[in-house]
Amino acid sequence: MLADRGKGAVFVPAFGAVAAVLAALPFFVDLFYQTFLTEILVWVLFAISFDLIFGYTGLLSFGQALFFGLGGYAVAIPVLKLGLGTGTGLLLSVAVPALFAALVGYFSVKLSGIHFVIITIIFALIGSTLGESWAWLTGGADGLVFPAPPIDFGLFRLDLMDIRSTYYLVLAVVALSYLFLRRMVQSPLGKVFVAIRENEERARLIGYDVRFHKLLSFVIAGGLSGLAGGLYSVSLKYASATFLHWSVSGHAVVYTIVGGAGTLLGPVLGAGLIMSLEHYLVDFLQATDLVVGAVLVFMLLLAPRGIMGLAQGRRK
Amino acid sequence: MASNLAVAVMNGIVWGLILALIALGLNMIFGLLHIINMAHGALYMLGAVAAWYFIELTGNYWLALGTAPLVVGGVGLALERGLLRTIEDKPLVTIICTFGIMLALQQLVLMQFGGTARRIALPISFRFPLFDLQYPAMRIAIAAISAAVMAGLWVFLNKTRYGLWMRGVVQDREMAVALGIPVHKVYMWTFVLGSFLAAFSGVLAAPIVSVDFMMGREILIMAFIIVIVGGMGNLWGSVVTAVMISLIQGVGSIFVVPSTATVFSLGFMILVLLVRPQGLFGE
Amino acid sequence: MERAPQPPILALSKVSKSFGGLMAVNYASLSVNKGELRALIGPNGAGKTTLLNLITGIHTASSGTIRFKGEDITRLPPDRISRRGISRTLQVTSLFSGLTVYENVWAAVQSRKRFFNPFVRAEAWKDVAGKTEAMLELTGLSDKARTVCSELSYGDQRILEMGIALSTEPDLLLLDEPTAGLSTRESMGLVKRMRAMLGGRTILLVEHDMGVVMELSDRITVLHYGEVLAEGTPAEIMANAEVHKVYLGS
Repeated sequence: MLADRGKGAVFVPAFGAVAAVLAALPFFVDLFYQTFLTEILVWVLFAISFDLIFGYTGLLSFGQALFFGLGGYAVAIPVLKLGLGTGTGLLLSVAVPALFAALVGYFSVKLSGIHFVIITIIFALIGSTLGESWAWLTGGADGLVFPAPPIDFGLFRLDLMDIRSTYYLVLAVVALSYLFLRRMVQSPLGKVFVAIRENEERARLIGYDVRFHKLLSFVIAGGLSGLAGGLYSVSLKYASATFLHWSVSGHAVVYTIVGGAGTLLGPVLGAGLIMSLEHYLVDFLQATDLVVGAVLVFMLLLAPRGIMGLAQGRRK
Repeated sequence: MASNLAVAVMNGIVWGLILALIALGLNMIFGLLHIINMAHGALYMLGAVAAWYFIELTGNYWLALGTAPLVVGGVGLALERGLLRTIEDKPLVTIICTFGIMLALQQLVLMQFGGTARRIALPISFRFPLFDLQYPAMRIAIAAISAAVMAGLWVFLNKTRYGLWMRGVVQDREMAVALGIPVHKVYMWTFVLGSFLAAFSGVLAAPIVSVDFMMGREILIMAFIIVIVGGMGNLWGSVVTAVMISLIQGVGSIFVVPSTATVFSLGFMILVLLVRPQGLFGE
Repeated sequence: MERAPQPPILALSKVSKSFGGLMAVNYASLSVNKGELRALIGPNGAGKTTLLNLITGIHTASSGTIRFKGEDITRLPPDRISRRGISRTLQVTSLFSGLTVYENVWAAVQSRKRFFNPFVRAEAWKDVAGKTEAMLELTGLSDKARTVCSELSYGDQRILEMGIALSTEPDLLLLDEPTAGLSTRESMGLVKRMRAMLGGRTILLVEHDMGVVMELSDRITVLHYGEVLAEGTPAEIMANAEVHKVYLGS
């Protein structure tokens, strides 16, 4: 009776098939496309983490870039300055942004609607302003270039200077994160988030601590946005204060809206579609943002529930 | 030192009056349509860019100041009628939508205008002595024009029928509908007026700052700060806050690095949002 | 043999609330006993909804105390008050409008849990599923379980909201004008459904329709300008001259 019941029968083989295809792809495409696929996967993770806070909990955060950028530095700085491993760095890229999300969220979830949007932008701006001026730590707008040491899994070592190995690392982490989020949004906790999105007052009146659950959603989303940033910096071997800028959050907003907010598949499709579109248009238009902006506006006006909404509408 | 301080104060006032115009447009659109217009900075930039083209064509800054804002007002008209009209009752959707418009406008300008910053020559090159420094008279003219436009706006809002309608809609939308005020027309002209003001300040700022496709990005945030600290829907609060913040930043940057000043003003804004969300001058 | 009188389940003592100098509730005292259906009536602006808002923590009283099951709840937030066992419907229907009827009831049933496990599928909670289906049965909405609730008829939405309020297993249920906006015929249907759903529960009912009030309530409290004007059985209230003056202006 709950909306997702019975979909497992379709989901498990579908997810397996997609994962298998993605795992096989590096044997058929060249290094350029392997890098491109890695990048898409990173933004997929960023988009689905944003979707948890926006699509499922109903809070429009334009501040996710702060956690994305922090995630990048949470890998780069320990690896470069403390000599820690990449694996430790990636763990930190979840923990450090989640900690900051707890702090930012503590204040932000006191506000709602447009005030929430604005306060998240301001927090991200503080982050990017400090990131740019503390060049001794962050490298400023030039950023930090670092070599990502290999990760030792005991049975094998993952050489992160190798593009294909990096692709597999990112694929595995993003796939696991997707499964984690999917289970969460179908879980009792996910039902609480959705209830808050649909009607905050009603949720409160039936006994849900709305502010606490908003904060929880914000922290989880922040941690996963951070992980996306960490993976991004590992794949580029580079972290920069420009990733902290609030407008970077726009990527997640666009992918999620275009694909369909409040579904996990939507942001995945949105990221894949928009990034491919940008990739193919850039050669003869040099105007990717124009197309992205136009697609965003027209989806909002004509198909506010995104690609997923269009697909479900047809099935009805 | 005294002359540095005098220049900082002068610059603070001039820049504050420009910011006030931008914030007034943003605040009018918010107060009336309840839209957080993320494209407002892009409209400011568009005004400056349009002015640059007009000056290339005619060589006359004053002609550009008269025409470029009208063109951008037309762009505002098209945006409101074509896109925003259907989603005006959904604040979050309009934020995302105007964000998309911002991306598109910036990119359009990048394609046509290029990525390099360009300068507009001062139309008044006369300078007058200020302590032991020379201060450009153009800046005084800019401040005077800003103030004049604001005075005109005050007269428009308080003395004309359209202005009274606008204030009526802000106070009580349902009552306004009941009284037969054409609310949707008021929305439309408010958005056009807001766009016009953004562009007008863009043209005014153009000789002081350099013109490029990203120039609206930081301004948008400044305008947000001013509108929130001064109080959303409180136009007078925006003007006072704009001059105040600009003065504090201008004078403050003599003593601290600009980024510190920025972080402090952002922190102050968070404090206002949390403690006095109606703004410092709200009720 | 007479039983010792039980303490009231809800006791308001000299509760006041002002909004910017305007007294919405003025020194109101009121107690509701376990098992009774108490109606709260009064002209528009008498402070009835404000009183419910104070009891449920949506607003906090300016002075006075509200005790529930013997404990002071005056300053608790709405979610904590709900967990103590007070549930309510709102004057303007308040549902999870984008979700199905089933999901609406589910959210309310599930709310009684302490820990919302993020690692299990919600369906795995068989007890919640069972209670949800039982509530759908009770509300008569079982065959509309998959309907998105914004597509329900207005009358069904009112019933669903009552079902949601009941799903939190409250010891006290507050109903704010359940028949508001319904036609006479719909009202009669709703009252019939209410009788089936609400038997034996402790209820505080705010209602304009005097027919509904007379039919359902055990006792009536009359509120006027934020003050308690009269209290008694339906018959006593009908006979009260002051109440007549307030309602009829004679």
